[in-house]
Amino acid sequence: MPTIDVDCAELERLLGWSWHGDIEKLDELLAFVKAEVKLYSKQENVASIELKDTNRPDLWSVEGLARVLRGFLNLEKGPRSYEVNSPILEVHVDARLSGIRPFICCAVVKDVKLTDTIIRGLMYLQDKLDQTYGRSRQKTSIGLYDYNLISPPLKYTVAKPDAIRFVPLGFEETLSLAEILERHPKGLEYGHIVKKHSVYPILLDSEQKVLSFPPIINSNDLGKVTEATRNVLVEVTGTVHQTVLNTLNLVTLALIDRGGKAYAAEVHYPEEALYPAKRVITPDFSSRHMDLSADYAKKVLGFQLTTNQMAQLFLKAGLGVEKISGGTITVIVPCYRVDVMHPVDLVEDVAIAYGYDKIEPLWRELPTTGGERPEQRLINIARELMVGLGFQEILTYTLTNPENLFDKMNCERAHVVEVANPKVVTMSCLRNWLLPGLMEFLSNNQSVEFPQKIFELGKITLLDETRETKTRDEEWLAAATSHPTASFSEIKSALDAFFMNMGVEWQIKAITHPSFIEGRVGTATVNGVNVGIIGEIHPLVLEAWKLENPVAAFEINMNKIIEAKITKRAARFI
Amino acid sequence: MVNLRAHELKVLASIAKLGGKASVEQLISEAELSDAAIMRAALALQEQALVKIHAEPQVIVKLSAEGGMHAEKGLPERRLIKALLKLGGEANLDSAVAEAGLDQQFKQIALGWVIKKNWAVYDSKTNMLRVAANLLQQGEAPEGDDEKLLSYVHGNRQVSLDSLNAALQAAVQTLKKRKLLLTEEKTRRIIEVTEAGKQAAAQASAAPEEVTQLTPELIITGKWRSVKLQKYNIEAPVAKTWPGKKHPYLSFLEEVRAKLVTLGFKEMTGTNVETSFFNFDALYTPQDHPAREIFGIYFVKNPEYGDISAYEKAVANVKATHENGWRTGSTGWCYKYSIQEARRLILRGHGTCLSARTLLSPKLEIPSRYFSIARCYRPEVVDKTHLSEFNQVEGIVVDEKLTLRDLLGVLAKFALEIAGADKVRFKPDYFPFTEPSVELSAYKEGYGWIEFGGSGIFRPEVTLPLGVKVPVIAWGLGVDRLFMMRAGVDDIRYIFSQNLDWLRRKEVA
Repeated sequence: MPTIDVDCAELERLLGWSWHGDIEKLDELLAFVKAEVKLYSKQENVASIELKDTNRPDLWSVEGLARVLRGFLNLEKGPRSYEVNSPILEVHVDARLSGIRPFICCAVVKDVKLTDTIIRGLMYLQDKLDQTYGRSRQKTSIGLYDYNLISPPLKYTVAKPDAIRFVPLGFEETLSLAEILERHPKGLEYGHIVKKHSVYPILLDSEQKVLSFPPIINSNDLGKVTEATRNVLVEVTGTVHQTVLNTLNLVTLALIDRGGKAYAAEVHYPEEALYPAKRVITPDFSSRHMDLSADYAKKVLGFQLTTNQMAQLFLKAGLGVEKISGGTITVIVPCYRVDVMHPVDLVEDVAIAYGYDKIEPLWRELPTTGGERPEQRLINIARELMVGLGFQEILTYTLTNPENLFDKMNCERAHVVEVANPKVVTMSCLRNWLLPGLMEFLSNNQSVEFPQKIFELGKITLLDETRETKTRDEEWLAAATSHPTASFSEIKSALDAFFMNMGVEWQIKAITHPSFIEGRVGTATVNGVNVGIIGEIHPLVLEAWKLENPVAAFEINMNKIIEAKITKRAARFI
Repeated sequence: MVNLRAHELKVLASIAKLGGKASVEQLISEAELSDAAIMRAALALQEQALVKIHAEPQVIVKLSAEGGMHAEKGLPERRLIKALLKLGGEANLDSAVAEAGLDQQFKQIALGWVIKKNWAVYDSKTNMLRVAANLLQQGEAPEGDDEKLLSYVHGNRQVSLDSLNAALQAAVQTLKKRKLLLTEEKTRRIIEVTEAGKQAAAQASAAPEEVTQLTPELIITGKWRSVKLQKYNIEAPVAKTWPGKKHPYLSFLEEVRAKLVTLGFKEMTGTNVETSFFNFDALYTPQDHPAREIFGIYFVKNPEYGDISAYEKAVANVKATHENGWRTGSTGWCYKYSIQEARRLILRGHGTCLSARTLLSPKLEIPSRYFSIARCYRPEVVDKTHLSEFNQVEGIVVDEKLTLRDLLGVLAKFALEIAGADKVRFKPDYFPFTEPSVELSAYKEGYGWIEFGGSGIFRPEVTLPLGVKVPVIAWGLGVDRLFMMRAGVDDIRYIFSQNLDWLRRKEVA
C-alpha cells in the first residue's frame, strides 16, 4: 500500500478548506478515497497518509488528493478539465528498442513556480509511480529535466554499455553505462532490468547530450530540477504504452495544478505493428465514456437511486455525466481515473458518494447448513485428551529451517518444501515433522519450572508429486515431557491412554531412529499401519538444543488415526 | 502447654542429648535435618523463649592451594630428608633435590627448613648436605606438629581453630606464615536450651507422638488414634500446579468456528502450498502486481511449478479476462497473461484462494455460505505488529439476490456475534478482487473501535471466469486483533508464544 507524506498546510491550501488541526476530520474526509492518516507530526505539520487503493495512482500526490477531495467537500463538481498546447518538442524512437523498452511519452510544462515543498512532493509522486504503478521501474520510469538546458529534438535510442559516458545524478565524474550499473546505487538497484540486453536505452538531445539512461538514472547536468527551474520536461519510458501514457498524464497534471502550462510532444515511432501509431502526441488528457444502467446499479447496491440522483453523486466523486438516456447514464471518466475498468467500479463510486453509513444493512435468511471440516471433531477430542493427560498445548510456526528439522535432530538432511525468498534464514522451509518445534520450545524455556509437558496438533507439509501443488499437508500430533526423571515408560503410558480413549488399538515395534536413544524407540502401528514414533530423545539431540533434562516424546499421524476410526466405525455397521 | 512442631521437638531433644548446648553443625548430624530446617526450628523455639541462639565468632582454618599440594606429597623438607637418607645420609644438595623430585622453587625452602629443624647440616662451600647424627640412627625424622596439622586439616577440609590443642594452634601460626594455611573468621551459631525449654522438652516427651503424614499404616492399624496429627501452617505458600490446557489462541479460533457454523457457514480446507492461479490470477490480481513480487509472497523453490491442467477452461477464461476483460464487460488489465506464471507455486498469502477453489468446484451450492481458517504466509520481518505466518478467517456467501446491503448485513452480524460489538462502522476499502469493498470497524465498550474485517462483492472479473453467474460476497475477519484485545496483549507474537510461563499463567476463563 502506498503511503505519502503530505504537508498539511499545502493540502489545506490546495483544498481551500481547513480541518483546523483536528486530524480526525481529515481522516473522515480521506475515508472517501480509501485513505487514512497513519502518522501525524504536529511539529512539522506533516501527515503520513496511507492509500489502500493500489490502483489509484492519481491519489499519490497532494495535488491529486486535493483534486478529488474537493468534490467530496462540495467545493468542486465533476472532473477537472485540463488543457495541453500544441507540440513544441519532437522525439524520435529507435527501432532497436522494440525488444527492450519501446515506448516513450513526453510533455513540457512551462512557468511552474517550484518551491522546496513542491519539489519534494514531485519526487514522492515520481517514486510512488515508479515503484508501484511502474512495478519498480520495470513497466515505467519517470525522468524530470530543466527544459531550458535541452536542445530538441530528442533521440530515444540505444547504446553499447561502453560506448557512451556521462555524469549520472549525484556523481561528479563521467561513467560509462556499464560502470553505472556497477557503481551507481540506482544502477545496482535497477540494473537487472537492462542487463540481459546487449545494448541499453539512452535518451539524447540534438547535441548528443545525454538526458538519461532509462530506467536507471538521469544526467547530473540536465536531469536535475531545482527551485530555479521554470520549464520542466517530463519524460516516461516503459514497456506498456497505455501505462507509460497514464504515468506521463499524472505527473503533468500535478504540474498543471501548480500553475504550469503544458505543451505536447510529438513522438515518432518506427513503422511496426508494436507501436500505437507512427506519430503519437503526448500527453493525452482525453476522457473515456462508460455506460451504467440504473438497473445494474440497483442490483449491486440493493436499493433504488434515480438516474438524476446518481448523476449528482458522480459529480461529487469527480466523474462527469455526458448524458442520461432512459435508464442509462453515460459517465465521463477523466484520463487520470485509470482504475475504472468495469461499470461495477462506477457503482462503487456512487455508493461511496452516497455514504456507506446511509445504507441499511440486511441479514438475509438463507437456507444453508453450517458445518466444520469433517476431521475437526476428532481433532478437538485429541486435544482434549492431551490436556487431560496434563500436557500444555503450544502453537508454533510451520516455517522453520533445515538445521532445526535435521541437524539438531541428529538426522540426515532430506528434501523438504523450501522457500525461494526467505526473509530470515531461520524461516526458510516448511516443517515436515512437529518434534523439532517442540524441542525448540523446550529450549526456549529452560528457566521455567519443571516438569514441562507440552503438545502441538498441527499441519506438516510433505512433497507429493501426484498432487496439483506437488505437496500435501497432514495433520500430526506431537507431545513431549521433560524433567529430571522423564522416561520412555512415562510417555508410553500417556500414548497408551491416548489411544485407548480414542478407541484405537495400537501396537509398538522396536526400531532405530537417530533422534532417539537406541533400544528406547519404537513405531506405533494401528491395523499394521505405521502411524508414528515414540521414544526417549537422544542425548546428542538434547545437547544440540541445549536441554539439561531428559525428554521423552511421541509424534503420530492424526489423519491415519482418523482413517482408522472411520474404518472401524464402518465395520461396525456391516 | 507450649505447642511444638515435630522439627522443633527434634531439635530440642537433640540439644538436650548434646548437653544442653550445641552448634548448628553438631545438630545437623544429630537431628539429621538440614541447616535451614534447624535454623527455622531454632528461631521458632527462640520466639517462645525455649532456646537462646548465640553467635560466637570462630576462626576457620583451611589449606591454601600450595598447602594442599604439600599435604598430599609431604612438606619439601620432609621430601628432601627422605631422599638424603636414601642416598646414604650425605649427598650433594642438587642430587638430593633431584632424588626428592622437588621443583627448583622449593629447593631453598627445603634446605632452610631441614637446617632449621636440625635434621641436617649443610656446607655451602662444598654444597654437601649431611643428615644429623641422631636421625641417621633413627632412619627417619620424627613427624612434627606442623605435619600433623597439615594432614589433619587436609582430612577434614576445614577445622575450627578452637578445636585444636595448643601445640597444633602454634603450628597453625607457623604454617600460616609459610602460606600453606589460610584462616578466616566466621560466626558460629550455638543453640542453648533455656530452663523453660528443658521443661517443655520434658513435657513433650511425655505427650503423645506427633506425626506429620497420615499414612495407610496408621489408618489400617488404628494407631492414628494414639498419635497427634501435627497442625499445619495452612497459610504457608505451596508448590504451583500447572494443569494441561488448550492454547488460548486456538481456543479462541474454536469459538469463532463454532459461531460461524451456527450462522450457517460450512468450512473449506486447502493446502499451505498453492498455485499462483488460485492465490492471485483467479482473484483478478494481475501477474505483475506488487503483491506477487518477492517482497509480497513466498515462492516455493523446488518444485517451482504446480499443475493446473485440471482447470483448463477456467484458466483460459481467467487469461482472457486479464488480457481484455473477456465477457465480463471489463477492460481487463491489458497485458500478456502467462500460464507458466499461473502455475508458479507459492505459500498461500490469504485464505481467499480457498474461496476461489470453492467457486470453481462442481459441488458449489447456491445459496451457500462458506468459511475457512487458514494458515497464511507473507515475507514480513516478525515484530510487534507483523507475523510472517498467521491465521486468516475468511469466507463467502453465494446467492442470486445478494447486494451491498447484504454485505453490510453479514459484516454487522459478525461484529455482533463474534466480536460482541455494541456499534459498527463501515468505510470504503480496496481489494483487487472485490468491488464495492467495505472495511468493518467494531466498537465495544471498554475497548474502543477496532478494525475487524475487510470484505466486498467479488468483481465480475472474478466470478464469471470461474463459471459463477450470481453475486458472491467475500469477507475476511481480523481475528488476531480481536484475540489480542481479549487476551490483553499488545504484541502479536503472543499468538505463537514461546513463553511456557505465559501459557501456564494465562487464565482460561
